[in-house]
Amino acid sequence: MDMNVSMVNGTNVITLNGRFDAFEAPPLIKWFEDNVTKEQADVVVDLGGVNFLDSAALASLVKGMKRCRERGGDLVICNLQQAVRIIFELTGLHKAFVIAETREAALSA
Amino acid sequence: MRIAIVSTYPPSRGSLNEYAYYFVDHMRQKPEVDEVILLVDELPDGETYPEPPEHVRIIPAWKFGALDNAMRIRRTVQEVNPDAVLFNVQFATFADTRVAGAVGLTAPALVKQAGYVVVVLLHNIMETVDLSKAGFGANALMERITRTAGDVFTRAILSADLVAVTIPKYVEILEAKYGAKNVILAPHGAFQDAPPPQFDPNPSVLRIMAFGKFGTYKRIEVMIEAFKILREQLPGTAMELVIAGTDSPNSAGYLNSMKDKYADVPGIVYTGYVAEDDVPRIFTDSTIVVFPYNSTTGSSGVLHQAGNYARPAVLPDLGDFAELIREEGYTGEFFVPEDPASLAAAIRRYWENPDKRQADSMQNYLSSVGIPISEVVDWYLLHIDRLLAAKQPS
Repeated sequence: MDMNVSMVNGTNVITLNGRFDAFEAPPLIKWFEDNVTKEQADVVVDLGGVNFLDSAALASLVKGMKRCRERGGDLVICNLQQAVRIIFELTGLHKAFVIAETREAALSA
Repeated sequence: MRIAIVSTYPPSRGSLNEYAYYFVDHMRQKPEVDEVILLVDELPDGETYPEPPEHVRIIPAWKFGALDNAMRIRRTVQEVNPDAVLFNVQFATFADTRVAGAVGLTAPALVKQAGYVVVVLLHNIMETVDLSKAGFGANALMERITRTAGDVFTRAILSADLVAVTIPKYVEILEAKYGAKNVILAPHGAFQDAPPPQFDPNPSVLRIMAFGKFGTYKRIEVMIEAFKILREQLPGTAMELVIAGTDSPNSAGYLNSMKDKYADVPGIVYTGYVAEDDVPRIFTDSTIVVFPYNSTTGSSGVLHQAGNYARPAVLPDLGDFAELIREEGYTGEFFVPEDPASLAAAIRRYWENPDKRQADSMQNYLSSVGIPISEVVDWYLLHIDRLLAAKQPS
């Protein structure tokens, strides 16, 4: 899985591509631990390039969201492919996360 | 947040007690949780629960087999007045008889009616249970009556705010058959922060182990017959068959009958009840973990444990296991259910191939640590938080 981080209008945007599973989750978790602070607590995760994710991947996003919210921000997810959206709906996590259709919508959420 | 959990809990030996133990241990440590109030089953013979850990209160609030469990649970919930109530249950949690078992399953609906946020973690569903093998179907008519009653009581469970199941197929069935909109898939989770794997690719003793509550769909005859075959086929190999656990509540006396029946077979060890502290040793001392099931009633906590302790699994070729393995990344050697020759062959395939044993152990280990229970607890807290927020007047 590819992971790229950019800063857009003061918000960290993480772009993920490929298969997102137990083997790929630890670097994302580490990124949240190292970079989400009270001063920088809003994150957008663009899953547009992710075609598969498992429970460990979801757990890493939950961890990230918790960390953001504990520091006064939030984690917004965007650009879900249909297969990925189904996983979010199956687990009920679509009701727990803020999910935006596009990156632009996520940045203004 | 104060959360009541209706469950069995050690030293109660009711099913799901181990799951509750680890679940509660992680939940009590979450900063957003002020108190976990365990509404547990009364222990037999005047036994009492030990002092609970910090942030946990234990209240015996129901009795296995009693008819008034649902009412007692609701009354106790009202007394302790938590923010939310979580049920950790399966269809036979409250009794081993149809009426008491079914009436107990109305508890989530009664608690919900009393105005509380209710989440049910349902470990199995009636639709996938072979009732005759689970001890609930004496004949075809009784099985049909039981299934009809099961439909009614499943609807009662589905009146909870949220019903979590651990197998995707269960979500599909509950949505398709009952039109449920409040069922979600939640990972089972690994029981504890996984220890580093201890592989023993060349053990001096072939120690074959089965873990659980035996007598209904977990039957050891096939294991013992397979063990006899292996003793003949591998005469120079030191081997031991370890039956770790107790009778199922529905099959009192089963293991004693097996001891009598197979008294002439050397090398069989019956451990009896395995205390929490002994669980790691039981698994890590084993060369191979066998699942002698002829049907299943849900996902397998034992498979997660086998993975947690990096052990290879010999599994029956049954629906739930195949699905669990496919979707959660586990692997194993398969045998035809209830076929000792097939089971013996599967065990031999591992015993004679240490590289495969180690590779599959590693795969099971990695799968089990994919998401520990501490993180599964976060999912539940997230959902409870959302449900509580939705309940607030706007």
